[in-house]
Amino acid sequence: MATTTLNPAAPAYRSALYEWLTTTDHKKIGIMYLINSIIFFLAGGILALIVRLQLVIPKDATTIGGLVSPEFYNQAFTMHASFMLFLFIIPILAGFGNYAVPLQIGAPDMAFPRINALSFWLLPLGGALMASGFLATGGAAASGWTEYPPLSGAKFNGPGTDLWIMGLTLIGTSSILGAINFLVTIFKMRAPGMTLFRMPIMVWTILVTSVLVLMATPVLTSALIMLFIDRNYGGHFFDPANGGNAILYQNVFWFYSHPAVYIMILPAMGIVSEVLPVFSRKPLFGYKAFVFATVAIGALGFSVWAHHMFTTGAVFLPFFSLMTFLIAVPTGVKMFNWIATLWRGKLTFSTPLVFATGFLTMFLIGGLNGAFSAAVPVDFAIHDTYWVVAHLHYVLFGGSVFGVFAGIYYWFPKMTGRMLNETLGKLQFLIMFIGFNMTFFPMHQLGLAGMPRRIADYSASAGWTDLNIVATIGGFTIAASILPFLWNVLVSLRSGRIAGDDPWEGNTLEWATSSPPPPYNFDHLPEIRSERPVFDARHGQAAAH
Amino acid sequence: MSMPPRSRTGSGPLLAGLIIVMVAAVAVIVLAAAGATPQSVWDSFFPVQGVTPATDRSHSTKSLYDIVFYIAVAVFFLVEGLIVFSVFRYRRKPGDDELPPQIHGNNVVEVIWTVIPTAIVAFLFLLSWQTLNTVDAKVPTDVHVRAVAQRFQWSFQYLDGPSSDANVLFTQVIPVGNDGGMFIPVGKPVQVDLLAKDVIHAFYVPKFLFKRDAVPGKLNTFDFTVDEAGTYRGQCAELCGPGHGAMVFDVHAVDQATFDTWFKAQVAQAAATPTPAASGAAQGPVVDLAAQNISYSTKALQAPADTPFTIDFKNDDTGVPHNVAIKDASGNEVFKGDIITGPAEKSYDVPALKPGTYTFVCSVHPTMTGTITVQ
Repeated sequence: MATTTLNPAAPAYRSALYEWLTTTDHKKIGIMYLINSIIFFLAGGILALIVRLQLVIPKDATTIGGLVSPEFYNQAFTMHASFMLFLFIIPILAGFGNYAVPLQIGAPDMAFPRINALSFWLLPLGGALMASGFLATGGAAASGWTEYPPLSGAKFNGPGTDLWIMGLTLIGTSSILGAINFLVTIFKMRAPGMTLFRMPIMVWTILVTSVLVLMATPVLTSALIMLFIDRNYGGHFFDPANGGNAILYQNVFWFYSHPAVYIMILPAMGIVSEVLPVFSRKPLFGYKAFVFATVAIGALGFSVWAHHMFTTGAVFLPFFSLMTFLIAVPTGVKMFNWIATLWRGKLTFSTPLVFATGFLTMFLIGGLNGAFSAAVPVDFAIHDTYWVVAHLHYVLFGGSVFGVFAGIYYWFPKMTGRMLNETLGKLQFLIMFIGFNMTFFPMHQLGLAGMPRRIADYSASAGWTDLNIVATIGGFTIAASILPFLWNVLVSLRSGRIAGDDPWEGNTLEWATSSPPPPYNFDHLPEIRSERPVFDARHGQAAAH
Repeated sequence: MSMPPRSRTGSGPLLAGLIIVMVAAVAVIVLAAAGATPQSVWDSFFPVQGVTPATDRSHSTKSLYDIVFYIAVAVFFLVEGLIVFSVFRYRRKPGDDELPPQIHGNNVVEVIWTVIPTAIVAFLFLLSWQTLNTVDAKVPTDVHVRAVAQRFQWSFQYLDGPSSDANVLFTQVIPVGNDGGMFIPVGKPVQVDLLAKDVIHAFYVPKFLFKRDAVPGKLNTFDFTVDEAGTYRGQCAELCGPGHGAMVFDVHAVDQATFDTWFKAQVAQAAATPTPAASGAAQGPVVDLAAQNISYSTKALQAPADTPFTIDFKNDDTGVPHNVAIKDASGNEVFKGDIITGPAEKSYDVPALKPGTYTFVCSVHPTMTGTITVQ
């Protein structure tokens, strides 16, 4: 034909739903990461409430304590941990990375936008697969989130465990793809002037986290596949009766899962390191030391995995004890850097800073109670007791989750163009802080009193009842603190105060564009001569030094 | 250099202080109402309420715990004090738009707060290594027990020597109670070998400040000496399935003479041919009871008073031993059925009982209980 009738470019109208489902915009993907993670946070929280109700009093006292069967109880705590670790904390931090990293380095998007969308969409898929275990014969995975064989073998657990393995493999694949994407973005797409040592700490923590993911997650995947083969195809990797080794799984699993602890905390440290300088109106104290401490934590994180296995009798104890103690040093450096950032600043207690100081306080406890386990003989006493439950929640809830909420309150204005309500935010913090400490502080004492983890019931004569009642009340207090948060988000989306480009007087490049930023982020960039380009633009070079 | 202006304005600090005081007050009232004393609260921060631990080597663990605890508490108050001080001291005044001094770092303090923590953790590492050598020390032992862990019970095989292929003299099947559990002579070194038959378990006695995993395919061995006579409750500490919480055991540390008597009786009993079970026809009314998943099928039974009756007991737990024992209101055992390993069935002939409420319990799993109303 001589002429081709060209459809004039269709007016770029697509339904908002279609737009979100097909987007490759890192900001929309980042927000979807957050929403998906919050949904699993709520699901994991409900499972945690079941766990707390089950334990509130011993079963023989009355039937309230025996809310669910021991079988379901084991599924509840297994899936609680699996949701919280793999589908809430890790992805929500990756979501913040997705949202913030391209903005903070002055890039238009991630390096591989479609792979970015793929790594997000693997998450709800993997999560649904994992959660579908509840519908399977015998219920969901029930051997703890660590899924140690032989207990996780086909002899003792049904197809729920296979669904758990498949779901987690997809989630791991999502992490690996995301990590490659972050690394390429950070190394290849920084704006002119954005040298490595001018990158915001948030970007540094995502960089180190991505290296950890890239090195550790394939190892987890290999453990999961070996477990799957053992369960379904007659493999004997972990079966001692046929030349396998049950401890091998623990070594491989923790070679991933200890670095995973840093995957779960480093970006939260990054968020806090963004929030503290902005709300103190000072630069981060000891920027380079902070970067080196982050790298040191990442490196040391690969040499401490066996401290989860001190009581197996299959570990060279002094080495792992030493490395575990040593990791306290870079962590301590960070703590002092944060405090020195507050020191002599001019602090504005907006909700992000309130959550960030909550992070400092709770993470301090989570670091100190971890030192007890590094002392091997003390670990012999407290390992697999409620002490460990207290420790990990002080790190991952008191640390990571408080950091996550600091991040939500900090970047919500940038994401939506509207401010969250300050009063509701502080109310949430107050209830959550009290509830958190009520729940988890008594677990130190329970562990010292000899209460093991993962038991569905205990004797009334054990003397553990009072503290369990306190912990359960605290658990419901935490649940109550989520209500003002959800209300806050819903109300503020419609009628929150208009944020403007830079409501906090921020330091980093995301505050140099509109809220929410346009597609491809920037119309123009300020000059980048330090790690605080927006601060420099606001105050001029003179003030920075 | 002039100090930045102080902020005393705004209701924020006042409100925060008020909330802290209120929460602290509520906590103190609740603690007092629950009968806690300052001493008992303090003790709860130490293993097993701060009691003297029971074994020779756990004393050094306790000392190590104390040192780590005091250092951790000191560091907590120092660092937390700095955080709280900064939060209250360096608040921004409303309308104060002046920038605070832009301090990027200070090499001297950064070196100090790197070196001091390094020194502290190096000290703690050396101390815990030294303690570890005490805790893990091997000594010549008098008594050799193989603790056998399987879902969901412990049994204890007494061996004729320390080597892993020693002969079994007898097996203590019942893990808890006055005639169950692991008997050892007080003040004598004991060697325990851990054997796991199915999944990973862990031998954990809180008052020993010690646990060790029982891993299929791996022999874990440890030594200890109990200092003081008494009964010490232990429990599985590695998730092993739905009955994990029911997997308890007792360690009875008794004087040498009592131990010898018990030991000889057990050896003799194991050597004797088992008496054939009385097969007489069931007498009186029959009560049905089953055990499954480390739990009885019912929590409440009825039985007639003053007449013998029969319990038809069905154990549906494959490979797991159960029985039915009946205790009166004061805890005395009035009947104890033979332990059977499931799947199996057995009829227990129970003698006549006086009217009243009794409890029935599994001798192997003391968390399996119910009440039996005799009227």
